[in-house]
Amino acid sequence: MGQKVKEPRYHIVKRADISKREAWTIRIIAILAALLLCAIITMVCTGDNPISIFVTIFKGAFGTQRKTWITLQYVAILLIISLALTPAFKMQFWNVGGEGQVLMGGLAAAACMITLADKLPNAVVIILMIVSSILAGAIWGVIPAIFKALWNTNETLSTLMMNYIATQLVAYFTIVWEVPKGSGKIGIINQNSNVGWLPNIGNKYLLSIIVAAVVTIGMFIYLKFTKHGYEIEVVGESQNTARYVGISVEKVVIRTMLLSGAICGLAGLLLVGGINHTITTTISAGQGFTGVMVSWLAKFNPVAMIFTSLLIIFMSRGASEISTAFELNQSFADILTGIILFFIIGCEFFIRYKIVVRKDLGKEDA
Amino acid sequence: MKKIKKVLSAVLAATMVMSLVACSNTASTEKETASEASSTEATQTPASDVKVGFIFLHDENSTYDLNFINGATQACEAAGVEYMFKTNIPEGQECYEAACELADAGCDIVFADSFGHEDYMIEAAKEYPEVQFCHATGTKAHTENLSNYHNAFATIYEGRYLAGIAAGMKLNEMIANGEITEDQAKIGYVGAYTYAEVISGYTSFFLGARSVCPSATMEVTFTGSWYDETAEKEGANKLIEDGCVLLSQHADSMGAPTACEKAGVPDVSYNGSTASACPNTFIVSSRIDWAPYFAYIIDAVANKTEIATDWVGTLETGSVVLTDLGDAAAEGTAEAIAEAEKAMNAGTLHVFDTTTFTVNGETLSSYMADVDTDAEYTADTEVITDGYFAESGSEFRSAPYFDLQIDGISLLDTAY
Amino acid sequence: MENKEVAISLRGITKSFGEVTANSNVNLDVYKGEILSLLGENGSGKTTLMNMLAGIYYPDAGQIIINGKEAVIRSPRDAFDLGIGMVHQHFKLIDVFDATENIILGLEGKLNKKEAEKRIKEICDKYGFEINTKKKIYDMSVSEKQTVEIVKVLYRGADILILDEPTAVLTPQETEKLFNVMRNMKHDGKSLVIITHKLNEVQSISDRVAVLRHGEFISDMRTSKTNAQEMTDMMVGHSVSLNIERPDPVDPKPRIVVENLTVVDEEGIVKLDDVSFTANTGEILGIAGISGCGQKELLRAIAGLEIIKDGKITYIHQDGRTEDLLGKSPREISELGVKLSFVPEDRLGMGLVGNMNLADNMMLRSYRSGKSRFFTEKKEPRKLAEKVVDKLQVSTPSIDTPVRLLSGGNVQKVLVGREISSRPKVLLTAYAVRGLDISSSYQIYDLINQQKKRGAAVLFVGEDLDVLVELCDRVLVLCGGKVSGIVDGRNTDKYTLGSMMTQRGEAI
Repeated sequence: MGQKVKEPRYHIVKRADISKREAWTIRIIAILAALLLCAIITMVCTGDNPISIFVTIFKGAFGTQRKTWITLQYVAILLIISLALTPAFKMQFWNVGGEGQVLMGGLAAAACMITLADKLPNAVVIILMIVSSILAGAIWGVIPAIFKALWNTNETLSTLMMNYIATQLVAYFTIVWEVPKGSGKIGIINQNSNVGWLPNIGNKYLLSIIVAAVVTIGMFIYLKFTKHGYEIEVVGESQNTARYVGISVEKVVIRTMLLSGAICGLAGLLLVGGINHTITTTISAGQGFTGVMVSWLAKFNPVAMIFTSLLIIFMSRGASEISTAFELNQSFADILTGIILFFIIGCEFFIRYKIVVRKDLGKEDA
Repeated sequence: MKKIKKVLSAVLAATMVMSLVACSNTASTEKETASEASSTEATQTPASDVKVGFIFLHDENSTYDLNFINGATQACEAAGVEYMFKTNIPEGQECYEAACELADAGCDIVFADSFGHEDYMIEAAKEYPEVQFCHATGTKAHTENLSNYHNAFATIYEGRYLAGIAAGMKLNEMIANGEITEDQAKIGYVGAYTYAEVISGYTSFFLGARSVCPSATMEVTFTGSWYDETAEKEGANKLIEDGCVLLSQHADSMGAPTACEKAGVPDVSYNGSTASACPNTFIVSSRIDWAPYFAYIIDAVANKTEIATDWVGTLETGSVVLTDLGDAAAEGTAEAIAEAEKAMNAGTLHVFDTTTFTVNGETLSSYMADVDTDAEYTADTEVITDGYFAESGSEFRSAPYFDLQIDGISLLDTAY
Repeated sequence: MENKEVAISLRGITKSFGEVTANSNVNLDVYKGEILSLLGENGSGKTTLMNMLAGIYYPDAGQIIINGKEAVIRSPRDAFDLGIGMVHQHFKLIDVFDATENIILGLEGKLNKKEAEKRIKEICDKYGFEINTKKKIYDMSVSEKQTVEIVKVLYRGADILILDEPTAVLTPQETEKLFNVMRNMKHDGKSLVIITHKLNEVQSISDRVAVLRHGEFISDMRTSKTNAQEMTDMMVGHSVSLNIERPDPVDPKPRIVVENLTVVDEEGIVKLDDVSFTANTGEILGIAGISGCGQKELLRAIAGLEIIKDGKITYIHQDGRTEDLLGKSPREISELGVKLSFVPEDRLGMGLVGNMNLADNMMLRSYRSGKSRFFTEKKEPRKLAEKVVDKLQVSTPSIDTPVRLLSGGNVQKVLVGREISSRPKVLLTAYAVRGLDISSSYQIYDLINQQKKRGAAVLFVGEDLDVLVELCDRVLVLCGGKVSGIVDGRNTDKYTLGSMMTQRGEAI
């Protein structure tokens, strides 16, 4: 036999299929590791003990009854947007235009509230708001879809560009409707008449949560048990297969983006009519993009999305609580959120691959 | 292995530096907790059980918010009361939630510093009638009929006028030195929005400058944001290219002052001194000192007296102040300012004296201003009295409402 | 054999992917100056074993000894340094580069095309390759691309060549050419390993044959001392019959009449040019041709998946009524009551959805039916999936397993099973046994024969001329999109077909 050659200390191997339990174990370990690192960093910066840091994170999200409700409301909105993006992504249509679709939905709702307040009864205004915001979101979603279907344009670019158009439209109307003149803000619309304010169910926060629950169940059923959902899956997996069995890919793309945009529009309606009662360019706060991550992390499973959106909201609220409680700059919260997301996304690598360490390590060294 | 060690040491070093920065950060903004407050015995009037919550749009990185944060810290520590800060609260539902959280946490007073916070403060005020909600720069307190919601502002136009005098003196000096001719005495102004507060600010500044340099003219550009460093820098550069020989601004970043420093153009700043960043071009800065107001509301709550619906700070209350003059200020500036200040306090000098300006070539004898906020911008109140425009003294409301376009000032863009 | 030097020695090689063991304790030697055939059914671990030599995978256990020294092959670069080169089934060439550029791509040192071309020419002359160094890859035929791949490996100084199913894409004539250069390389002292499961090729090219089964090494022997039946039995593990059945057609009647069909693709290239023929009931019509000569487009055109420029496709019902299929989508065709099934070449990219499980794949054809307009009906597809698994002996953990996890043969059984479940009147199959092992292939031939006996008109696009000659009643030969002729399967041989595939219009 020839001379001994050193075997590599470890090598990376692709996993075949990993069980769900194993995958979730890896994810949980990643989250724990992220929390640990956050704790260490915060500890180094503040000198507080890590337990109090974890308690603060938890308090930030669930510290008081109000905080819990707010957290749940945030989860609801993020969840709705994520659910809206899901059918498009499942179809492999990269809809990164959630931001714009939400904004357009919100803008339509705000337009109804502002222009119709004195002219129509409240109930009619609300109905018009619902219709117009859903329609506006749907239109904003379907324009890139039509371009894709007719001329095969790149939807990533077109949906992204539509975001900028939407932002500028909102900026324009902010100036048109600003109160007082020249202030560059609209402020709470119909603050005293409350026309166009979506009704409170129980308390201020419950409406969005109920809508989110309905959309979640609806989307779950739509994707899993309907012919449309089946077509979306086939188109997403292989357009060739879709054509082979006679599915019109163009029709499915357009129909799905109408739905995707419409639900984004619904989120815009809730943000404007139900929560903020105003419209600003930053009202969706990047959730059109965060939603992409929520959807991916949940592997497009609507039920799993409840947990991923909760996780992301919990983390970001916890991180921002740390930064206020320990008197740190807001950027510190962003750093912590970044660390957590890095771990969550990074752990997907270990779900797909495993590292094999040389087995006879001790033996050879001896 | 060597490589790993290298990386590790680099990471460790970075962590140490970061922690140092962060620690020094915390040290400088150390919060006064209840226990600490009792340990600092020096306080004169221990209004112990009052707790104040503050909501800030940004954090100490914004000159605007820093001014409030300093005032709040100073007033609360002087009064020995407990206080809580919430920074980086956007002008949306988050403000309402922050206000409610502060009220839930036992604050007797909740204060918000940004104009856009107003509506959300009103919402919170409706929900917590026993808590006092105070809002700076707002316009709605006098029409909302909420006993626990209050606006506050200061006669900053007086400070602007005085700063304008410093600018006029500088222009005179430049004319005298032959750097510019009389006709070239053009001032540039970077504003945020075409909003009354901004209009009132640049007009008073201009009137102050023109009171000492009669040939002065002014150009104004708007950025469409209260805080946009790039836009403010670009606006300033545009004005400098346009031939403006002196700049001032009403926006919250360091964009305009740094652009001036780079171009060597003298600058009258706002919200606080920019002398350290702009040693060669800084003339003076006017600002509102909020500590007197905070002291006032803490005192009112402690003694269970009413807080004014619209509170206006003045030169006399110490709310309107000028910073120390910069090296760029012309000789005799301090004296000229002191003289004007005396006349103002004596009531003989009004900033918006209708004899000092014209609108479309005519002197004003009557003007209906939009004092009560509404979506149609209805002009509702006669504001010309005794030959001057009665800007937000305590007459009508605390926030400025002067929105006239006077001759001598040209607006480059009015998109915002 | 013993006096020959050992080039590669594999000792106890084991490799698993998750639960699946691809190779288990394999011991194999390759000598200098010999051609070794590596034989085995699909999924027997041939490619995995060779990939470990090429640096694509790293073994979990075992030793690789190259020229007497233990070697660690962590990457393709390590493999090259040891003089090992592998030509994969799927070529790894850059289309817009020419042959020389592809060959020298990634090599260190100064780029000198002239020098490189000289060396390439030397290699070609030495072993008898024909190569146009200036030709762009996208202009090349499959066989030319393969030549570039082999020269690329030799250029890098490989002494040990591994060829993964090199003949799958070649005509008999091209195969013969390849074998000639392989023999030249052997005489030059190089070691060659050829992965294949065509037994006739094993016999004509190799000196020695090694058989793998289920990831385990079964045996190796001199090719001259064995025969097809013995090798098959070793591969499969039990005795199999090697004859393809060809029942006589019963009452053939025209079912599909294609007249003057012309198809032009998106780039304006003529894919089918004035093609006319008739497919009869109860008959298998074979379609032969070099790959890319319009076979795919012909089937796609009948299935309603091509935009047709000119011509006519007529379907004739049992009762003599006719339907014009031209310009109709697959959905419209099925709505006409035309029972047409299509087993496409691209099984997981077209015929099936890889990430879906068996039951959901069964739904592809039928999901529109069912009581509800809105909801899918899942019971029937599940029943069908179970039936297919049971009848065709599909080896799968369950009908909820994604089909991409099945082996090639089982994937094809699922696809064919679904397509024949609707009792088609017309069955279109493209390369139905490509990549399948012997037992799976025979099962597919049986299924196709069953459909023929049922009275379906079968169009069988194939590449193995031996099979076409043995299975089909008639064979239509395509060359460059034109029909070179239609021959009777009972009165022809593969050499006639081969020459018709390259030059048009010999026999009618």
